[in-house]
Amino acid sequence: MISGANRIQPKGDKVEPSMWIDEAIWGHRIHDEQNPWFIYLEFLNIFVYEDSQDRVFEEPDGFNTLVYAPERRLHLRNILFNYPIAKLEQMARDNSRDNERWRIWQEEMKENQQGLDHHKFEYLQEHFETFEDFVEVIKVLHSTCLEIRSNKRWTSKFVFPYCSEALFEDLNNRMQPGDRRFFGRTGELLYLMFCRSNNKYRLRDLLKEKLLNQETIWSNIVKCLQPHSQGDRQKKSAGFLPYRKHVTFDKLADDWISILELKMPGYDLIPHLVSLAGLHMLLYQQELAREEIGSKRPSYVISEIVAPRKTLVRELSIESYQENNTLSLKAVNRFVDKIRESCEWQEALTRNAPYQEAKDLLVRTVKWPRHDYNEELDPDKLIEALRRDANKRHRQHVGNVHRVYGREIGLISKRGTNRLRYAPTDELLKTLILTNVNRRVELNQFLDKLFIKYGMVISDKEAERMLFTEKGDLDKKAFQTNRERLEQRLCGVGLLRRLSDGCAYVLNPYSEKQND
Amino acid sequence: MQKWINFVRKYGPIPRNENMYDETIQRAARRNKIKPILFEHPYQDKVLSCFRVEAPVSVILTGTAGDGKTHLCRQVWGELGGEEDKWASDDPYLSLEKEYPSGIKTIHFIRDLSGWVPQQGSEWSDYPSKESIINSFCNSICSEMSDDIFLIAGNDGQLIESFRRFNGGPNASRTYQVIEELLVEDLQEINSARLKFFNLSRGSSAELFDRAVKAFIGHEGWLECFKEEASAGEVFGPRCPIRHNFELLKTTLIQNRIRVLLELCDHNGFHLPIRQILLLLTNAVLGHPDAKERVMRIADVPKILEQRQEAKGCLYNNVFGGNLSPRRRSTITVFNYFGRFQIGYETSNRIDNILIFGDEDETLGESYNELVAGDKFYGEDESYLAAKKQYLEAADETEEASKRFIDMLVRQRRGLFFKIPEDKEIEYKLWSLTVFKFAGEYIDSVINILDRGERVTSKILSRLVKGINRIFTGILINDGRYVYLATSGNYSQAKVSRIFLDKIAVHPSKGEKVSLEYDHQKRRAFLKVYFSPEVYEELELNLVRYEFLSRIAEDGALPASFSKECYEDILAFKSRLIGKYEQQQIDEGVDEGYLNLKVLSLTPKGQTEEKIITVQL
Repeated sequence: MISGANRIQPKGDKVEPSMWIDEAIWGHRIHDEQNPWFIYLEFLNIFVYEDSQDRVFEEPDGFNTLVYAPERRLHLRNILFNYPIAKLEQMARDNSRDNERWRIWQEEMKENQQGLDHHKFEYLQEHFETFEDFVEVIKVLHSTCLEIRSNKRWTSKFVFPYCSEALFEDLNNRMQPGDRRFFGRTGELLYLMFCRSNNKYRLRDLLKEKLLNQETIWSNIVKCLQPHSQGDRQKKSAGFLPYRKHVTFDKLADDWISILELKMPGYDLIPHLVSLAGLHMLLYQQELAREEIGSKRPSYVISEIVAPRKTLVRELSIESYQENNTLSLKAVNRFVDKIRESCEWQEALTRNAPYQEAKDLLVRTVKWPRHDYNEELDPDKLIEALRRDANKRHRQHVGNVHRVYGREIGLISKRGTNRLRYAPTDELLKTLILTNVNRRVELNQFLDKLFIKYGMVISDKEAERMLFTEKGDLDKKAFQTNRERLEQRLCGVGLLRRLSDGCAYVLNPYSEKQND
Repeated sequence: MQKWINFVRKYGPIPRNENMYDETIQRAARRNKIKPILFEHPYQDKVLSCFRVEAPVSVILTGTAGDGKTHLCRQVWGELGGEEDKWASDDPYLSLEKEYPSGIKTIHFIRDLSGWVPQQGSEWSDYPSKESIINSFCNSICSEMSDDIFLIAGNDGQLIESFRRFNGGPNASRTYQVIEELLVEDLQEINSARLKFFNLSRGSSAELFDRAVKAFIGHEGWLECFKEEASAGEVFGPRCPIRHNFELLKTTLIQNRIRVLLELCDHNGFHLPIRQILLLLTNAVLGHPDAKERVMRIADVPKILEQRQEAKGCLYNNVFGGNLSPRRRSTITVFNYFGRFQIGYETSNRIDNILIFGDEDETLGESYNELVAGDKFYGEDESYLAAKKQYLEAADETEEASKRFIDMLVRQRRGLFFKIPEDKEIEYKLWSLTVFKFAGEYIDSVINILDRGERVTSKILSRLVKGINRIFTGILINDGRYVYLATSGNYSQAKVSRIFLDKIAVHPSKGEKVSLEYDHQKRRAFLKVYFSPEVYEELELNLVRYEFLSRIAEDGALPASFSKECYEDILAFKSRLIGKYEQQQIDEGVDEGYLNLKVLSLTPKGQTEEKIITVQL
């Protein structure tokens, strides 16, 4: 009744979240505290597990039935994150005998380690000639770890995903995976999106070939830092993606494929995949919000190529950001409205016990309220309470996703002003070029592609097309200057070849065909 | 006299500079009975000979505005017997028939593609006659059976746009691909396409200058001006800036200095078309900030002389558009490009000491006399001495007064750039007057050496490699004998990369080497890193990159202004090198049982040290 034909309902009445509105629209769940790197890591954990079961990107038991068991790798993590690097360095400089240093360190590790049943670290010694060598390796490995400079708990710090042996799940202070703070299921959604995309097997093969099956120095070292047998791992059920198919899933998978096909060192591909994951999650949220509120047009991302002064493009960019940023909340409210407008609701009101009927209907559809509702037994007040709760809940996490992911991937920033707007960084522009340019393409065509695929408005041509669906006057000059700034920036980073008279080509130096 | 100055003025940076267009030059010249400034276009022979062969093919002329496309079309039209009257019409499309040994061919001239193609918003199909012409063009370049030959002139953006919009079947899309390939890859022809492609913007601006300056100063109009003896207070007399500038422009030293700037523009990928070069020459001679539109007419000269303001019309300053308003200057390509050299703003202590204290200092006196005092016109003139005195004695401390002196100093420094004699370039460090300290070396010891087929000294090569190593690793390496490939472990583009992968010998060893090579067709230098005689990666070595690497090697740092762009370029090069390196590795296989991790570090003396850590697997 409330959802489109494509939308899947959760089975049974028992669901984990306290309400099923954000989840009904976007799934369980997109989470603001999980930055795109964590989305990527959570995804890889599933990918690797499913690969070991030989069923990557399949959901053999039906939609949203995925269960997986990620690794914990507590030896590796205790060594890297639960022992101060400075102390380790000091110990390496110490003049005592090598064996003595190993012994002292191992004893301290045994004492301080957390979460290990077999807390032996003797296996390390056979891999390294000296303790000093070991420390040097740890130092380098440590310097490439994620969240190293953040003040997150040590169990939420991660090794760069060099190989499957470098992957493990997020844990809380009690060494339990329960709190879902940084691995908040968005990586699970990402995995499920790929399961339901058209080119999933091509993607599977490329991920394995380019990222996981490569034997590198680092994959070997990471293996050496762990004992042969690891501790137990717990099975966990994955999240819920409410759509059987969606065009955003295909776009996302195709973009990842484009990156994975580049001629570039394997590890260099990863930051681009991470940014694209963040970008597509953000666009997914926009698109579904628009579907919910019945908007006929896509979200426009009016992007300022940072100018030294305030420009019209900046103003419009701020406006478009503010509109898009509040869109998901509108979708939540529209969702509630639709319940109210539904035949079921109207019918419930005509029954003998309208309050009870209405409440039952809400419990069936949005799994709310869980406890008895103590105020007046009035269906209208009940649904308004639902709206309040839903709004409050949305603002806490899901409503922040647009801003948080956008900033993380370099799409949204305050650079040069005090208000948030779309102002893509060079890194993000580079990712977009590597994704969308096969060898070379004329700049106008490139911008056209960004408009169609991501709703990005940069030059006057896209601005004109945007106004075709939205009424208004256009200051062409401002957008032309914006385009010129883009030309200069891309030229600066060697990704654009300017011919003359406004004719320029965007180049992808890593494209497979290049030099062949 | 007056007519000539008025005519030549129209080549200059004035709002109604009608001599920008071949059509209007021809008309104005006829009207005034003046010969336009004429010289043979460097591409003339190449283009004409395309139509002199037994079986000609179509030709496309492209390039930026003012490159001489229309001019060349007119040459071909004349050579093939086209009537002048027809050419004088406004029609962007003309055709004629010509007999060749292979039969009679129709030669189609589309001399102004942008004027001829259907305008934005309309379709090719709205113009059936044009559609059929463009169709026969596409067929002619794909098929040998065609009796149609085309000469098409249009700027590159228009060219791409026109053919992209044209959906005329397989030959049309093939034509689009061919044109794009020719344009972006800088080619003149492609096998299988019956087409010659000339991008006039790829020609050498320095070569254009040689021809243009000869035609400019050799023009009879000037002789007319200077044939009569004029007195000091008169136009064209000894104090007249037009006359003095003209005399200066005739000297080899000044021509050479302008030329080298153009040559450096060429090597930076900044092309200047004929129109800009003529504008430069005109402004050099006629520029003056107090004149009407800041370009002198005869009528402006008496007042300038009367007010003793001739020094402001200084050629040295005019070459950089110093007579124009900053706003106007920034819209003119040649001044925009020349501005990047920062001549007048870059300096050394020695140069400024000579300029400011030279007249009263014994050790600097000789230099001062040679470079400043010897030139009473634009060097040690009264206004400069007075302003300098005032500045030094701080009699007038207003901002305006010191700005006046600083402006003069800029003109003086620019003057020195043109006055330092060739045999003293090194002594006075000529290039320290520009932002490119290594520019002289780049031209003399790299480009010219390579062009002659000789080798660049190992000192230069080693310096470049040292610069590359410092960018690649983020460590102040002093070694220029090897190229160091390093990553941070997970990211090849990291600022500091200490995990050593491999080093490639600069001097030939087991197939590895690093060399500087020259592409004669593109007239560009490349730094090539060879993993083996067949496997290499290359980096185009333009002036900016040369300066960047050299300064990184010598000083370890450089002004932030041009560092970012180059930095990214060099890192992209590293990424390509590592890609190649990794390919090699897979081919060779890795040792089993243990692995060596090599960590780069520096000894206190700046020597590179690779610490090897063996990890038992």
